[in-house]
Amino acid sequence: MPATDQRLLHLSLVLGSDLVGRAGARVGRVDDLLVRLGSDDYPPVTAVLATVAGNSVAVPGDAVADLDHGCVTLSTDRLDLRPFERRPDEVLLREDVLDRQLIDVDGARLRRANDIELARSDGWWRVVGVDVGPRGIFRRVVPRRFARRVGQSVVLDWSQLEPFTGHVPTVRLRAPHPKLARLHPAQLADLVEAAGHREGEEIIAAVHDDPELEADVFEELEAAHQREFLEERGDAEIASVLARMETDDAVDLLLSLDEPRRDPVIALLPAVQQRRVRALLGYDSATAGGLMSPDFVCVYGQATVEEALERVRQSAAAAETLELVYVMNTARRVHGGMPLADLVRADPTAPMGEIAPTPRVVRLDADLEEVARMMTDFDLTVVGVVDEEQRLQGVVTVDDVLELVLPRGWRRTFTLGDG
Amino acid sequence: MRRVSTPFRALSRPRGRLLVVLAVLGPGLIAANAGNDAGGIATYSSVGAKYGYDLLWMMVVITLSLVVVQEMAARMGVITGKGLADLIREEYGIRWALFATASVLVANLGICISEFVGIGAALGLAGVPTYVSVPIGAVAVWLLLVRGTYKVAERIFVIMTIPFFAYPIAAILAHPDWGDVGHAVVAPHVETSPAYLILFVATAGTTITPFMQLYLQSAVVERGLGPDDLGSERAEVISGSIFANVVASFIIIATAATLYLHGHHQVNDAADAAKALEPFAGRFAEALFAIGLLGASLLAAAILPVTAAYVIAETFGFERGISRSPREAPVFVGVVTVLVVVGAIVAMIPGVPVFRLLVGVQAVNGVLLPITLFFVWRLSASPDVMGSYRNGRIFNIVAGLTVIATSGLSLLLLAVIFAGI
Repeated sequence: MPATDQRLLHLSLVLGSDLVGRAGARVGRVDDLLVRLGSDDYPPVTAVLATVAGNSVAVPGDAVADLDHGCVTLSTDRLDLRPFERRPDEVLLREDVLDRQLIDVDGARLRRANDIELARSDGWWRVVGVDVGPRGIFRRVVPRRFARRVGQSVVLDWSQLEPFTGHVPTVRLRAPHPKLARLHPAQLADLVEAAGHREGEEIIAAVHDDPELEADVFEELEAAHQREFLEERGDAEIASVLARMETDDAVDLLLSLDEPRRDPVIALLPAVQQRRVRALLGYDSATAGGLMSPDFVCVYGQATVEEALERVRQSAAAAETLELVYVMNTARRVHGGMPLADLVRADPTAPMGEIAPTPRVVRLDADLEEVARMMTDFDLTVVGVVDEEQRLQGVVTVDDVLELVLPRGWRRTFTLGDG
Repeated sequence: MRRVSTPFRALSRPRGRLLVVLAVLGPGLIAANAGNDAGGIATYSSVGAKYGYDLLWMMVVITLSLVVVQEMAARMGVITGKGLADLIREEYGIRWALFATASVLVANLGICISEFVGIGAALGLAGVPTYVSVPIGAVAVWLLLVRGTYKVAERIFVIMTIPFFAYPIAAILAHPDWGDVGHAVVAPHVETSPAYLILFVATAGTTITPFMQLYLQSAVVERGLGPDDLGSERAEVISGSIFANVVASFIIIATAATLYLHGHHQVNDAADAAKALEPFAGRFAEALFAIGLLGASLLAAAILPVTAAYVIAETFGFERGISRSPREAPVFVGVVTVLVVVGAIVAMIPGVPVFRLLVGVQAVNGVLLPITLFFVWRLSASPDVMGSYRNGRIFNIVAGLTVIATSGLSLLLLAVIFAGI
């Protein structure tokens, strides 16, 4: 929290305070505080909303001398009775933040604002934290004279919080939410699933500017939520998300779309991804063919270790699919599989066909149980998938299998509503 | 090893119509049928025994009202992804949210006790003593709620509505005169006697209860439904509400065709009604009635603690512990445990004035219902909350009238209760 020269104020005790003129006469009642989100770490109070003689007015920050519990003092006796107008990056603390959810970036969870803490720093009142503890609630329901004695409970520093602003008319679609970049895609996906629909959209919108991150978040989302957020988008936008996803995840997502939408979306994918997606779509999704990813590295037996390593370097495939580098003969039948670590340690000039051990593979129509059993029995993280001709078609990685075989109660997701 | 498939894979290859139908059944059916609980069955039995088919017409009106109210709650859950208590806190502030929470807690605890009394009474007809049946019921309910995942619990809730089919069968076994039944439905018979009005109001009160909207909206959210599920969820809510009230009507018919016709006009509780059926419709009808009562009591005994847990978690902002199922959260487990344990223990104490307790619970519900319904109505009409999915102009008027009428009846019941005590 920033250095402060004064006490901490609770928003709940500032609201409803007397608005007092410079001479000490009461002129009205404080209804809300306006703060500016944006560049400052701690948002400054830019105006005080008050009821003066039955009218709702906004008192600009420079006409306010000080805030305190029970009393907000003006620096002027002349009140400019302008109607309240909000600038694009301003939010009302009571109306837009209090009682609503915020993202606790450090805790990677949603919190509800029970009270808001204000302190003076750099010469002006700013929001410094949010009370998320039970006392914050207690303070707001007991009579005022007791409320002052209620201490603060769990206060989170504003620097770790990101408020939702989708419900604020003027801020809509403008909030950048820079702090969300500190979260892992899986955490962001969890937040999207736990939040309400509008809040979830806001998180998705916030990562939209970073296409890679957006695709990662979508990969982590549950199918129901993927559909929820994708369905409203145009085909081209869906395709651009799918293009950045792992092929097997992209196919799963595609399958969650309504049937008539699938082909137009596939048509908009880049050529390579399109071919892979079409190939995977042809397989029964409960078999190795449906589980596998078509991204792998397979070299001819004559290739040297160094050449194989070069193929790995140039491959865009996900790391887990490259744990084994496959070797095939001139008839493209796979006969070797070299663990990546062994490959790195091997003599760079050795021909792959001579040093690679025989790999464990399954047929395209092997079911999940068979794949899982083979992985368990032989301690594999990757299993190759071959067609009738023993040609490598793809690889199933342990993460794809685990996801399906883990007992439901073990999955730490919010709804557990899958399966 | 189990064969597992992810939801979208299941979706892409539907394995049969029945499974699809079962997958759709959920919060709407459960919420509406949890309203046909032990207290509900007792009320419907009294209606049938005292007035025969005379009050059947109002089941039509009550069904329409229930559909209107439940549709709004389900739509809010689907569109906002938030529970009713969440929305009350965000739009109306912490005080209203706390008030609703406190009332729900008291009311649900009270009703929960009556459900365990119902479990004891139903199994008591089979000769099982209360101190055996109630603890077993409590442990079963607790395990299901705390140990089961949402999906498993929901499936079992749906299965628990199957015993309700016992009532139509019991009613048919009672050989009602279907001509009289049809006539009573289309030609309302209205009396102005206080007893008639009290039963009328009590029936409305037991069919539309606050926990039903709270449960429905939160369950829709926990199920993860989004705007594109609105159509199917709406259909599910409407059919579930109609099913619940058809069942209620059959309870009235079953008792009317036997007890009323044979001059047995006084029914004190649901078990009483089951026993009373025997001389006229045989042991089989009595057994069916008891099975229905057991299923109904178990279902409601499970739904009430869940609803209380939802509301408390939403109001205090506990529920959104990321990476953790709400069912693993200490608050959820705590609330469920307290309600189940206290409910079961109180229900076992000999000589507990169950009837007075139910009256007190009715009073709390009577206060809570207008408030809940008002929030449901206003929130679902709010463009800020619902955007383009808010109530249409005409629907909003219908909904408003429904809310006012239902609330009025509820307050009337409250007045009657206080005048009566």
